[in-house]
Amino acid sequence: MNLLTNPLATPDQLYQRRSFGALPIELQDAIFFSAQCLTQAAGILLELPQSITAQANVVLARFWLEEQVLAHEFSDASAAALWLVAKVGPRPVVPRDLSNVYSYLLSSSSSFFHPNTSPPRIENPHAYFQTESSYHAFRERILALEERILYALSFDLRVALPHPLAITYLQALEFLHVRKEKISRRVLEYLNTALLSPQMLYLTSQPNALAVAAIYNAAKDIGAKMPECEWWEVLDVDREELGFLVVGMRSVDGWARKMREDVPKMAERMITRADIQKELTKLGVAEISEKRALDAEEEMARQMDEKMAEMEEGN
Amino acid sequence: MASKAKSRWADDEQDAELEAQRRKEKEEKKRLKAEKAKKLEAEKQAREAAEAAATTRRHPSPSPPETNSGHPAKRRKLSPERGTTTTQTQSSTTIANGTGEKTHKLLRFDGGAFRKARSVENYDKLNDIEEGSYGWVSRARDISTGEVVALKRLKLNPKDRGGVPVTGLREIQVLKACDHRNIVHLKEIVVNDDTSRLESIFLVMEFLEHDLKSILEDMPNPFLQSEIKTLLLQLAAGTAYLHENWILHRDLKTSNLLLNNRGQLKIADFGMARFVGDPPPQKLTQLVVTLWYRSPELLLGTPTYNTAVDTWSIGCIFGELLTREPLLQGKNEVDQLTKIFELCGIPTEETWPGFRRLPNAKGLRLPQNSTTTNSLVRARFPTLPSAGAALLNSLLALDPEKRPSAKQILAHEYFKQDPKPKQEAFFPTYPSKAGQERRRKRETPNAPLRGEKAVDLGHVDFSGIFAGREKEERGAGFALRMV
Repeated sequence: MNLLTNPLATPDQLYQRRSFGALPIELQDAIFFSAQCLTQAAGILLELPQSITAQANVVLARFWLEEQVLAHEFSDASAAALWLVAKVGPRPVVPRDLSNVYSYLLSSSSSFFHPNTSPPRIENPHAYFQTESSYHAFRERILALEERILYALSFDLRVALPHPLAITYLQALEFLHVRKEKISRRVLEYLNTALLSPQMLYLTSQPNALAVAAIYNAAKDIGAKMPECEWWEVLDVDREELGFLVVGMRSVDGWARKMREDVPKMAERMITRADIQKELTKLGVAEISEKRALDAEEEMARQMDEKMAEMEEGN
Repeated sequence: MASKAKSRWADDEQDAELEAQRRKEKEEKKRLKAEKAKKLEAEKQAREAAEAAATTRRHPSPSPPETNSGHPAKRRKLSPERGTTTTQTQSSTTIANGTGEKTHKLLRFDGGAFRKARSVENYDKLNDIEEGSYGWVSRARDISTGEVVALKRLKLNPKDRGGVPVTGLREIQVLKACDHRNIVHLKEIVVNDDTSRLESIFLVMEFLEHDLKSILEDMPNPFLQSEIKTLLLQLAAGTAYLHENWILHRDLKTSNLLLNNRGQLKIADFGMARFVGDPPPQKLTQLVVTLWYRSPELLLGTPTYNTAVDTWSIGCIFGELLTREPLLQGKNEVDQLTKIFELCGIPTEETWPGFRRLPNAKGLRLPQNSTTTNSLVRARFPTLPSAGAALLNSLLALDPEKRPSAKQILAHEYFKQDPKPKQEAFFPTYPSKAGQERRRKRETPNAPLRGEKAVDLGHVDFSGIFAGREKEERGAGFALRMV
């Protein structure tokens, strides 16, 4: 039984991600972040416990290291990961609920991409109404993706989360002599935020290291006094890894804010494959689509025809 | 000693010569060994140096192939540029600086890696073993290593509205989580070669020559007491491991117990298994465990049950090992309950407090007198030593609370008494059906299918089952057996 360790990404897999096709890493990170946020939002609407949603986050991250990111629609991959993790767990999800939730989240009426600060949206139920055929199409896509995920991960869906470990560690540290609720909350916030990090912290560090780093960060934020010795070593984390994770966890917030500014589309709605394709064209990475070249040719032919006609008329 | 006591037949000269020669050979061997060790050491050093060079080379850009070096670099850098920036920022972050330079030994957790499933084409099919309700099992050989394995195929129905069957997924997750000598080892999962669409999933498991059911069917004489003890101990050890790790097997029966030619028993077929918590989940399906091995509380429709359902099955298996016949062969749920009550007695409020409140118990009419409430286990197995009978009786206690835990079984008096459990290595071997080209058909009823409706027993009158019991002959029969 292995409740404390996770399979980690190999250096090879991480390297591959950098060299996958022509997709620039900034775009991959944007996709990763927005899909993970979407999964979290769907988990809340489906009333799933965070332990399930967090596992789905990790499964999705692993999947995208084994499979081309562009091979499937990002929101579908997020839905399939959530569906699969919930299915083997104690709280299976009904496909219909999954379909409704994702269709709502992706619609223009969704409050997910519109925080309270912006003016309230006009509720438009038509935007997320699911016809029978769109539901069936969604289910087909999810089931196909489910197989894909299972295949890519060799049917290993085991995810050990650092959350319970962190609480145990806090107990051992006597909650650093601050209010239990306060520090526990901050620790869990760090752990949940780390799920969204495009550095894929859950795929590069074991749960004990994540738990220790979250406690370190939370203690710093709150101003709690930590033991003066190298207490992380007692919990089998070395200084170097701790430092890396501390920075990694702290950087997510700033990174996400900057990303939202750089890619304004991200703040409006879920990124789709079409968006990425457009972005690629803009960057000049992908070849100019054949269709446009064809259009230009046709235009030329049409103009020539017109000219000929004019000349004939003139005669 | 031989050199001191002069033997009549010894020819001293020759002896001395031989002795000298032997010594010489020995020295030669020693020298060779030392040389080899030296060479190995040198090789090892060279390899280490090469590895060290490789890792330093790897640092600027993480190199792809993980060579045969044991552990990957402790911290994986995500990218060269980010790696360097982190180290810079890291030095500026305020981590409480330790004063001591001494390094502490830290535990390193190795959780393995994740990768795509391999293709089934890596295995060469030898013969079919069995066709069950959940899939086919065949014997196959790993083409690269030559190792013989068992391939269990999970059927995938493309029309299935729920996708990949959850029972199969649960079986995989449970087996992956298990690591015990009495539980069948899952090596890997492979899929059909064309991966554009999954058609079948194959569980690659270690191959064992027999299952207990076919041995029992074919053996001319029943197992010896010492052999039964060994088998039961192994079964209890495996079950104890499962229960300790919060797993209910929910389908223990002789056809799911595998035995190899070294006398080792392993629990297989986790299609019904699931993880549970404490307190147990409130709405567990009642439709578990093959009918003949199903406990009375399940038959009476309890929505919450625990590890005691597996303990009941162990009791049924114990009885089957003794007689080579399944202990309680009911034709349907009602008949099964009848058979149970015939053997173990009718439950009363004293023997099983609260059983009346179970969903299916309300409509039961039970005869209430002392002759029908006693257990007949002792009478049914007259040759069994009293400690064994006591164990069987406790395993087949109607009240699940009264059944021993798997751990308590292991410590039971029965296994301490003579005859002692036989050593596994001394187990007799049997011709393997699975290893030969013979197909086996199951004769026990199949495990219940998921999604079927549990039978509602309705109003059943059990008052007739003990009619005429008083007239039956009483007393133990004779049996003489060497143990």
